[in-house]
Amino acid sequence: MFRRKISRIGRGTLEAGRAAAELARVAAATLGGAVFGYWRGKRPKREIARQLYFVGNRSLLFVLTTLGFVGMVMVYQTCLLTTQVVDGRNQVGAQWARLLVLDVGPSLTAMMLATRVGAGIAAEIGSMKVTEQIDALRMSGVTPVSYLIVPRFFACIAMSVVLTMFGMAAAWGAGGLTGYYSFHINPRIFFDLGMVKPSFAIVGMIKAVAFGAAIPIVSGFCGLRARGSSEGVGAATTAAVIGSSFAVIVLDFAISWIGMVMLGASA
Amino acid sequence: MTAISVDGVTKRFGSRRVLDGVSFAVEPGARLGVIGPAAGGKSVLLKIVAGLVAPDAGKVRVRGAIGMLFQNSALFDFLNVFDNVAFPLVHGMPPRGGAGPRPQAEPSEPREARMRGPGVAPRAAAGIDTGNIDQRVRERLRAVGLAGAEHKLPSELSGGMRKRVGLARATVAEPDVVLYDEPTAGLDPVTTSKIYELLRGQPSTAIVVSSDVEAVAQFADTIAYLDEGRIQWLGPAHALFHADDPRVRRFATGEAA
Amino acid sequence: MKRFIQSIGRQTMNAARDAGGIVVLLGDTIRALFPPTLDGRELLRSLYKMGYKSVPIVVMTALFVGALMVIQLAAFVKQFNARALVGWGTGYSVLREVGPILIGLMFSGRVGANNAAELGTMTVTDQIDGLQALSIDPIRYLVVPRVIAMIVTLVIMTTIGDAVAILGAMGMSKVVLDIHPLTVWYSLVDNLGVADFLHGIAKAAVFGAAIALSSCYYGLTVKGGAVGVGRAVNAAVVSSAVSICFLDFLMTYLMA
Repeated sequence: MFRRKISRIGRGTLEAGRAAAELARVAAATLGGAVFGYWRGKRPKREIARQLYFVGNRSLLFVLTTLGFVGMVMVYQTCLLTTQVVDGRNQVGAQWARLLVLDVGPSLTAMMLATRVGAGIAAEIGSMKVTEQIDALRMSGVTPVSYLIVPRFFACIAMSVVLTMFGMAAAWGAGGLTGYYSFHINPRIFFDLGMVKPSFAIVGMIKAVAFGAAIPIVSGFCGLRARGSSEGVGAATTAAVIGSSFAVIVLDFAISWIGMVMLGASA
Repeated sequence: MTAISVDGVTKRFGSRRVLDGVSFAVEPGARLGVIGPAAGGKSVLLKIVAGLVAPDAGKVRVRGAIGMLFQNSALFDFLNVFDNVAFPLVHGMPPRGGAGPRPQAEPSEPREARMRGPGVAPRAAAGIDTGNIDQRVRERLRAVGLAGAEHKLPSELSGGMRKRVGLARATVAEPDVVLYDEPTAGLDPVTTSKIYELLRGQPSTAIVVSSDVEAVAQFADTIAYLDEGRIQWLGPAHALFHADDPRVRRFATGEAA
Repeated sequence: MKRFIQSIGRQTMNAARDAGGIVVLLGDTIRALFPPTLDGRELLRSLYKMGYKSVPIVVMTALFVGALMVIQLAAFVKQFNARALVGWGTGYSVLREVGPILIGLMFSGRVGANNAAELGTMTVTDQIDGLQALSIDPIRYLVVPRVIAMIVTLVIMTTIGDAVAILGAMGMSKVVLDIHPLTVWYSLVDNLGVADFLHGIAKAAVFGAAIALSSCYYGLTVKGGAVGVGRAVNAAVVSSAVSICFLDFLMTYLMA
């Protein structure tokens, strides 16, 4: 009985390894397809525009709401904390701006996009897979990755950057309101960009781009692996949401670390 | 020169051996019918020949371009009928068969498609210009009796109509080999005979996987009976119903065991 | 432009209607708790499915999140040489905010989605009607066990996640800031108390209820076949995310 369990773990690990390798391949194919395709002049503008409308329209309100509430919470908690020790209330706005640009803005927006957009991509591609349309694409001489994933890749990156900026604005603004109404922080003191160095904005943008790139790759990958019928598509959707969210967290960690190392103590 | 040659193909799913040392050859222009009990490996075999799935062992060699008609037609539900049929012409030739070990299993792409390179601008395949595409698509739709349905979406079509659109799409690039996976499954007898009429009009080499034994026996030159992963019987179609092997005869005629 | 505004308006209306529906479901669920007749088997099944299978992803996520917190604090620590801050700062944010929110989001994406899909498929295949025809109250039989299971599971997951995140932070501190992990630990236990932990746990419980009610509501009100199930799952996950953020703020405000 024990042996069976070990062989199951072994097989599971092997499967995971194979899946990871396949994911890396899809990622490389997407990036390669995007870069070379763009260079060779293949810009599926209509498809990208369609994706942009689809994604952006339905996600904007969602992102604004969630980031807004998070902004309120974070400022509230920080104010509570600082009033306990020493009155650092005047710092809160500036600190929050820094944290938003560097980390929370891009990552939280991306987590929201992972649920909204990632699920949609996996569902679309997944149902194509279970109805053999992916096979039909290949028989017609088209690589599914370049036809399906690359346009979404471009659209998601653009969306991620745009929505991140909206989200940060919402979080900062909502935070400022909370600071004013609950802790009487003068808005002019709160809305202070002094702590945000240009290098922070660059790191934040790199994150937004990386997250926007990761979500369609992971979700598309999960969609392409869908098996069976509508249950399989559902499983692919769930995997896409979890996988994209996890990818965002790992990338956040990695980019933050690299940023800290490269920018030194000033980060 | 054989058009299709399959040699010792084996495929396992987990511990189950779905195909075990399958070998056969098809001459150019000839028609092979593959019959057998459900889940006997017929669809998998067809996909291996098409290059969509890689065998665990064995070799497949196909001369020329391949077209495929899928069990559920697999029409692109985001494109209308015209765009569906035009798709292979707009986006490049169907993958050509090649000798030697097949490329890895999905979701990797067949080596042939990869050689074309990612991100190739959508242009008509070599030797076909855009005006020509329009003509060829309309000709195909006329041939399958669906002229006038160009702007419909797949969701607006009946099962039989979808199969016909699928057939038009599979043959519009004039492939040398066409593979049919259950072309008449779920269709009424009248539609079934109409579909086989269309198949007969195709000059290409063909492999048909079907559960409709009678119809396939009329259409094909040779029949292969696939059961438990092996070809249990391979012979001319007219000899099927008098086969020596009692299992085969029973399956073909539907006699009780 | 007009279409855009119309879209926003429509989304808001839908949101309001769904919010109302979820509150009604909450009422029904509470009502179904008295008298407490519980399908123990269904409860255990849910607990296993939701909890046991979520552990790996929670652990992996928490590890990275803990490490991430340390990176964010690193600049301060180096600037002010405030090494004693690491444990306290990390612990405070993880226990009270980041832990419950992120684990809640992961949980909603996984368990919430699965639950909505399951109930949605049951609705589409008329199994819910079938239950009612047998005079079994679907709320009592299906919803209540899942709500309880999700609350319990999310609380456990959050606890595990908090612990792993702190471990991740301890490890990262050593690697990046060369602070001994135990220093981090002492800094944490010196400055934080059970109250902070419970603050987060209370949130986790509320989030669990929100995710459960949201996924059950959308699952049970599915219309339109397989496509409708997909839409329900999407709606459930989105609404859970918004609820988590909103409830987080509300509870922070009320518990301050």
